[in-house]
Amino acid sequence: MNFKIRRAAKEDCKDISRMIMDLAIYEKMPDQVKISHEELERDGFCQNPLFECLVAEVPEEHKSNEGNGIGTALLSKVAEIGKKKQCVRLQLSVLNWNTPSRDFYAAKGAQDLTVTEGWHAIRFDGQNLDNLANEAPKD
Amino acid sequence: MEYKLRKAEPRDVPDILRLVKELAKYEEMEHQVTLTEKELLEDGFGDTPFYHCIITEIQGEKSSEDRKVVGFAMYYFTYDPWVGKQLYLEEFYVMDEYRGLGIGSGILRNLSNLAMKTRCTGMMFVVAENNEPSVQFYKRRGAEDLSQEEGWRLFRFDKDSLVKMAAPSEE
Repeated sequence: MNFKIRRAAKEDCKDISRMIMDLAIYEKMPDQVKISHEELERDGFCQNPLFECLVAEVPEEHKSNEGNGIGTALLSKVAEIGKKKQCVRLQLSVLNWNTPSRDFYAAKGAQDLTVTEGWHAIRFDGQNLDNLANEAPKD
Repeated sequence: MEYKLRKAEPRDVPDILRLVKELAKYEEMEHQVTLTEKELLEDGFGDTPFYHCIITEIQGEKSSEDRKVVGFAMYYFTYDPWVGKQLYLEEFYVMDEYRGLGIGSGILRNLSNLAMKTRCTGMMFVVAENNEPSVQFYKRRGAEDLSQEEGWRLFRFDKDSLVKMAAPSEE
């Protein structure tokens, strides 16, 4: 199958937003998605972008459900960009029950740091973040 | 005890590296620190800063003594595709002998305030599960353990794996 990996353009945000939702549904947390293509357009394509994005596209007639190496190609491209920018590591998080993804990353050499070193991902948001901030002494 | 919280400057780099190593030692992973002062300087105070840092300094007992850097937090901004801009707290440490004085709380409040001001919807970081004092410190303040509650695991590719993945595959 013919596919192409390229940097995302502002016009891709509607598709990216659609795929973010698809992934959130797969991860069983679709209600946690609060932003849409508008925020992605604003935050990713401004003067100081808050993120970078790659997309994989296929010609219309080549759509299929088979595994075609697109995932590997995307990850390799990210790794290549990281290598060019002299990054020493690539980190990500995966859900513990998501075996296909865990296996995909493990096959490429990733370590599960939650298992090997005991790291847990922690977050303050919403009211808790607000409470913490409101305790700050005024300047 | 009077302490001052301020933005790190290039001259603070040696102290930042010292504290990074102290924290790594506390986490029993000091051999993993390969960063140098030169890299910290370039990466934090060059054209494109890859991190931001706030430090806590105290005045020495005698007025003639130098100020001493006793705590720091290293953070940067990241992006969550579900909710947008996030503040990522990468390192957060107060020297042993200066704990229990409210310095840690002060740093965390300052960062939370910054997160709100810069339109971040959350502040994220990792904690080692056996680090009971830290786990309790965060839980008391309302933090969620996403690894426990949602099952997220932290994965990492090291340099060798990164290089292997970056190589073009044979067609």
